[in-house]
Amino acid sequence: MTDKDKEKDNRTPEEKKTAEELAVEMKVASIKRRQLAYSSDSSSGNPEKTKEELAARLSWKEKRKLKAERLAEPKVELNRRTLRRQKELLLITIPFVLYGFIFYYLPLGGWIMAFQDYEPKDGLLGSEFVGLDVFRYIFGEESFLYAFRNTLAMGVINLVLSFVFAIGFALLLNEVRLRGPKKFAQTVSYLPHFLSWIIVVGIVRDMLSMDHGIVNDLLVRFDILDKPMNFFSKPDLFWWIVGFSNVWKETGWNSIIYLAAITAINPEMYEAAALDGAGRFGKMWHVTLPGIKPTIFILLMINIGNVLNVGFEIQYLLTNAMIKKVSETIDIWVLYWGIGQGDFSVGTAAGIFKSVVSIILIYLANSAAKATGEERLF
Amino acid sequence: MKKTSTRLLAIMLAVTLLSGLMAGCDVLGKEKTFEMFIAMPGTELNEGNKAQEKIAEITGVKVKETWLTGQTAEEAIGVMVAAKDYPDFIEASDGYQIMVDAGALIAIDEHWDKYPNIKNYLTEEQWNMCRKEDGHIYAIPQFGIVNDRDVSPIHNDEAWWIQTRVLKWAGYPEVTTLDDYFKLIEDYAAANPTHVDGTDIIPYTILCEDWRYYCLENPPLFLAGSPNDGSVIVDPETRQVIDYNTTDIAKDYFKKLNEEYHKGMIDPEFFSQSYDEYIAKISTGRVLGFVDQFWNWGYTAQDAIKAAGLTDCTYVPLGIVAEPGIEERYHNEPVLDVSGGLSITTSCKDIDGAMKFISDLLTEEVLTLRFWGIEGVDYLVDDDGLFYRTEEMRANAIDANYKADNLCPYAYFPQYEGMNLDGKNAWRPDNQPSEFFEDLLPEVKECLEAYGAKTYVEMLNPSKPNEPWFPMWSFSNDLTTDTPGGMAWAKMTETKHEWLPRVVMADDFEAEWEEYLEVYYRADIDAFLAEMQAEVDRRIAVAEGN
Repeated sequence: MTDKDKEKDNRTPEEKKTAEELAVEMKVASIKRRQLAYSSDSSSGNPEKTKEELAARLSWKEKRKLKAERLAEPKVELNRRTLRRQKELLLITIPFVLYGFIFYYLPLGGWIMAFQDYEPKDGLLGSEFVGLDVFRYIFGEESFLYAFRNTLAMGVINLVLSFVFAIGFALLLNEVRLRGPKKFAQTVSYLPHFLSWIIVVGIVRDMLSMDHGIVNDLLVRFDILDKPMNFFSKPDLFWWIVGFSNVWKETGWNSIIYLAAITAINPEMYEAAALDGAGRFGKMWHVTLPGIKPTIFILLMINIGNVLNVGFEIQYLLTNAMIKKVSETIDIWVLYWGIGQGDFSVGTAAGIFKSVVSIILIYLANSAAKATGEERLF
Repeated sequence: MKKTSTRLLAIMLAVTLLSGLMAGCDVLGKEKTFEMFIAMPGTELNEGNKAQEKIAEITGVKVKETWLTGQTAEEAIGVMVAAKDYPDFIEASDGYQIMVDAGALIAIDEHWDKYPNIKNYLTEEQWNMCRKEDGHIYAIPQFGIVNDRDVSPIHNDEAWWIQTRVLKWAGYPEVTTLDDYFKLIEDYAAANPTHVDGTDIIPYTILCEDWRYYCLENPPLFLAGSPNDGSVIVDPETRQVIDYNTTDIAKDYFKKLNEEYHKGMIDPEFFSQSYDEYIAKISTGRVLGFVDQFWNWGYTAQDAIKAAGLTDCTYVPLGIVAEPGIEERYHNEPVLDVSGGLSITTSCKDIDGAMKFISDLLTEEVLTLRFWGIEGVDYLVDDDGLFYRTEEMRANAIDANYKADNLCPYAYFPQYEGMNLDGKNAWRPDNQPSEFFEDLLPEVKECLEAYGAKTYVEMLNPSKPNEPWFPMWSFSNDLTTDTPGGMAWAKMTETKHEWLPRVVMADDFEAEWEEYLEVYYRADIDAFLAEMQAEVDRRIAVAEGN
């Protein structure tokens, strides 16, 4: 560290302090204002209350409001002057807006197909409209309901497993004190992320093979099974095979973001915890985990919106006719009906349904986060 | 320094842009290039393929073929239809009806007047069978059009295949029924449990992947002594269609498989293996027997076994039936497959050029080039005009790399099977009797002779004339879920595909079979059979000229 940097460092706490003080002052001011309002409303107004007592009296809704006020950005009025002032910035955004419009919003026009008996030769404009018939059809189709169930089940399994393993792995890796082994373990663990699913599926099939696959070999050697088992004939196992394949492939990658969040935790906290007598696990529990809580929540919310995107490749490549009932996801169903059978209307309707469910899920997750006062997306 | 690097960058950019432009247009001009997609797995030819260049010299056209990879035919075609972007030529396979419905194909019969080679390729009646509801022809069939006579010594179709070493070990016994077949395999497996490479042998395997699960589901049809109608049995006397899935023969067959499965005779991974794994397995020579169509495995796995020097591990066909007295009909005369073929799409800008090319491909000179190769390099001609090959030429012809560099059969363009147009030679080397006998392994020769046969075909009953409705699969292949019968067919297929492996592996066969039938009858079987019956009647009427 150079002297210049040290000087900077010396300055910042002071600046921070003033900013913090300012914030506290503002808070106190707003509480006082509220207190005035209270005292004028209620008959038992006591002007001698300390600010702590007052803060305790505020309901969680009001607390949240206070927090929101604090976080809110200053309002910018939309007028000609601001437009002119931000001319360059606006110009720069035009390509991106156009890109978004062309590639994300324009294709939504194809949703019309879901309400038509679409025939490629008649086109979007010439096909006959049939109202909600297509939706009625897919909800009456047993295989679609199965596909929906499978998608949701595998989504939830993936979500839970990937969180538990990624966070656990990040916590453990963080405890490794030697730099070399830590970096090595991290690199090795995230490499599978770069493999394509087709290779991973090949590895999974080999590992679980009855013909000297390592898993069967071990199970037989340790007398857990008397003879090799065919993992792909058991419908109950398929979701877990998919779940743990995902864990194998993505745990290292997913943990990177947590490791980054952990490095941002102030080391003084650990020192303080140590002084208070916390051991390694105590520090993990009381410092590290609370420290990365905001990150966990944001990722949780993003991933809840993605629950229905459990992928397509692994199920498509690992399946066979006997376990199709548990392996077919909505995406595969859409491929089969929409592209395979040439029924674009049915495929589109199923796709719309999936999007709608995803939006509902993400909205619910966001509201839940809002309600508990945690970080949120919107 | 900085200036130099900037200049260098600018030059590189300019070069990239220019070369991009060059690639965009065919500067050479003279030679036309067409794109073709074939909705079947296959191998692409290498750049500068010798036979392809030669054909281009004669016809002025080169076709870039691309093949199906990692998708089903319907998916690949579906994507094209969704984008309305097609290659010039297409063999759409299972996606043919989708393309017709999408209006993506050119009506061949509106353009063929200038090209007698195409117009006379099939007879008037045969062309009529190819016509769609609107009276137009959208695809030219490529297979089963025989010039003069069929001389193939290879049984290209379905059979119960068995390794010659198994038959030799047992002293070439008579094998006619299902029980005989499995008894033989059991005995051999008990006496010789280990393959030469040290792994366990696999007595019997069944391919169940996707549409290829016919290896599991259609043997009841053959066991009953019917020819390969594919989706139903048609009683030759009453001309009524019969559902072969629920006959006693079918039940006995699956019961037998179930027993053999529990005896450990059937590959425990049979239902989850992919096509590639299956071919790899057979290629090692570990598998004693299986049911399959020869074209599905023979040109890959049989060649691989030969190349590995496992000369006693190649297979011969057996015509197994349910019980003695039933006459098997595994071998049939070549059939015209009218359920699809080569099509020209609406994206083709030079329809006349495309038609002329198809027509040119049907001349004697080009046909010989396509299937025999280049004279003096791939084959030689003796004084009588008979083609023959040296040992080296034969080895070249099964070498995948050599083929990609030198041979160009354009296999999905129309062709004549049977005899070459010169009337002396077979259409293809492996059909030429002299070539076939030269190339025959001594082990196979010994085995064939033991059964009084000279060729693979003679291991089976001689083919009978095809009935007018044969084969019904050319109709059921094109069924779509738009009709009740087609819907039922899709449901039946799905049910069978899911349940039949379960039936084979069940601990309690009877209970599982009952459960399977219950699910099976949820599909509207009668609607399916009615549509099949209507097609049988229609084909009979067409054949009788009404």
